[in-house]
Amino acid sequence: MQKKGIISLLAAVAMMFGLWQFASQPTAAADEPNYIISTDATYAPFDFQDKNNQYVGIDMDILKEVAKRKHFTYTLKPMSFNAAAQMVANGQADGIIAGMMITDERKQVYDVSVPYYQSGVAWVVKDGSKVKSLEDLKGKTVALKTGTAAATYGKSLQDKYGFKIKYFNDTDTMYNDVVNGNSAATFEDMPVISYAIKNGMKLKVMNANDLGNAGGCGFFVKKGENAQLLADFNQAFAEMKQDGTYDKIIAKYLNAKQSTFAGDKKDNNSVWGILTSNKSAFAKGLWETVVLTVFGIIFASLWGLILGIMGISQNKFFRGLATTIIYTFRGLPLMVLAFFIYIGLPGVIGVKIPAFTAGLITLILNEGAYTGAFVRGGFEAVDKGQMEAARSLGLPYGSAMRKVIVPQGLKIMVPSFINQFIITLKDTSILSAIGILELTQTGTLIVARNSQGFRVWAIVAAIYLIVITLLTWLSNWVEKKVR
Amino acid sequence: MSEQKQVKVHVEDVNKSYGSNHVLRDISLDVHPNEVVVMIGPSGSGKSTFLRMLNQLEMPDSGTILVDGYDILDKKTDINKVRENIGMVFQNFNLFNNYTVIQNVMLAPVQLGKMGKEEAEKRARELLETVGLADKADMSVGSLSGGQKQRVAIARALAMDPDIMLFDEPTSALDPEMVGDVLDVMKDLARSGMTMIIVTHEMGFAKQVADRVVFFESGKIQESGEPEQIFNAPKNARLQEFLSKVMQA
Repeated sequence: MQKKGIISLLAAVAMMFGLWQFASQPTAAADEPNYIISTDATYAPFDFQDKNNQYVGIDMDILKEVAKRKHFTYTLKPMSFNAAAQMVANGQADGIIAGMMITDERKQVYDVSVPYYQSGVAWVVKDGSKVKSLEDLKGKTVALKTGTAAATYGKSLQDKYGFKIKYFNDTDTMYNDVVNGNSAATFEDMPVISYAIKNGMKLKVMNANDLGNAGGCGFFVKKGENAQLLADFNQAFAEMKQDGTYDKIIAKYLNAKQSTFAGDKKDNNSVWGILTSNKSAFAKGLWETVVLTVFGIIFASLWGLILGIMGISQNKFFRGLATTIIYTFRGLPLMVLAFFIYIGLPGVIGVKIPAFTAGLITLILNEGAYTGAFVRGGFEAVDKGQMEAARSLGLPYGSAMRKVIVPQGLKIMVPSFINQFIITLKDTSILSAIGILELTQTGTLIVARNSQGFRVWAIVAAIYLIVITLLTWLSNWVEKKVR
Repeated sequence: MSEQKQVKVHVEDVNKSYGSNHVLRDISLDVHPNEVVVMIGPSGSGKSTFLRMLNQLEMPDSGTILVDGYDILDKKTDINKVRENIGMVFQNFNLFNNYTVIQNVMLAPVQLGKMGKEEAEKRARELLETVGLADKADMSVGSLSGGQKQRVAIARALAMDPDIMLFDEPTSALDPEMVGDVLDVMKDLARSGMTMIIVTHEMGFAKQVADRVVFFESGKIQESGEPEQIFNAPKNARLQEFLSKVMQA
């Protein structure tokens, strides 16, 4: 009876997986190629989400236009810039368009289009800052965004001006660090910073007439691959430039008011306004978090049980294996593991791993290792005499485990399981780094659009607390039933 | 083989060390059907370790152990089958905490396919009746006193219808007023003809019930014989010393 229950549960889970995978398949016309294009999720005016949670920006409009003219479809993968660039470098994505500056260094790794936008690096301080020149930065902290050309430029000035560097993964957090006075300055591409300032970010450009490393932004593909895509881009771009489409796109973003994309003031100046104007985004993010958590909890618990049982096995090999697995995956930071599986592994095994799957595997391996450790401990905490008594009656090891040790051990472990469930829920937020649109990533995107960090993060925090409270109640209820 | 059928347990030249601690030295012992053998001796003399070897809870370093004619140290012997015939009672009872009293008694017969559930339950109730605990059948084991727990443990060991029973200091963890009940059950068992090997500090009980008393000291059998002779005319100097200490107390 019990066995049947477990089997049907697994079947249901497998089915949901299948459905989910199916639903996430892009719908492409059979004769049109479909490309995976990665981009930066928070890089206005090139790439950002508007108030309807659609990805817009100069890059997005250009890409859409190119696809239309050249008859291809694409699946967009918005995430942190650094991860987006690496996805192309290791073949997970076909191309990247993300306001990405053309540099010699990048040409070693990528093939690049004609420049589609001329830009340069600005250095920026807080409005009203006492810093007047680069010399004033001596000993102070400068905020940079990981993997960007602006960061490379900033880094190249470090020795000369003697400042410290702090790295960020998304633009908005970096700006706010300067506005809040934690960092004295930042380096950023001129159009990006201009857009932010126009939209109310309290920052000041110090070198508007003398941009550093002036150059162009390009569309990048992995070196030696996707030549057709690159040729299409160049050709379509030349047409757009000629017929005025390009100028229209640029004007649309550079002359826009914040409200065009970010919504009215009243929608952004109160918690209630933010909540109602973004309710579908929050709901989607929450759903993704819940789905990740539920699958994560189920599979990590099963995997942890297997590890724990192996960990107390009579067989030396299994014991060693369990110890090694637990040691390895407990020792790896969750984010490193996520990057390894999502960005590192596909380059080696040649199979693309969807972000959700990569995130789920990460959760299972990491939380499963913690679970395995306390499961092993829980079984070991069962009095040795219980096993001896069972064996002395003639019960084989397996039955003795199943009938005597496991039930008692599980009871000991219940509080640890509940604790681990809550940790799993919170750890899903780390998976925002690989672009999974869960609750935390949703918050990041909304802040990038409306610059309301305090209110948005307060909302996100409150949602987490509510879900954790519900999860705790559920767990306590289950615990009472079990005891 | 036929010769060995006459002995229930045949032990020859068994040795066991834990690191540099040589806990059993060249132990040889035969136990015959229906015989009650009581092992006495100071703590750490090796008698419990010896007892636990008879159902392979401990492995000897060398020597031979035959139980019912089966060489239990032979890898080909199904130790679980042999154990079904050897009941064991522990100092700390080791009742299964996740089951009720009657479930403790029923578990092995049902799991090992010896009986159906109903038959096992009927048998379990009879056994609980025998040890005087029929009214506790559906209670959790946590609610029992030590003496009651030990009697349930005896019933549990009997549920597989073993023909040998091992007792490892069955009364040492009990309050003094509980000891009598447990010893009474063991006496009944001895009278019924069960082959029993008992490690105990209850000298009065040993005198009364044992067919043979074996004195362990420093990992060796120093002397063995009928209770009359062991308690009234001990030859071994260490046994004399041990008895004088125990009888004083």
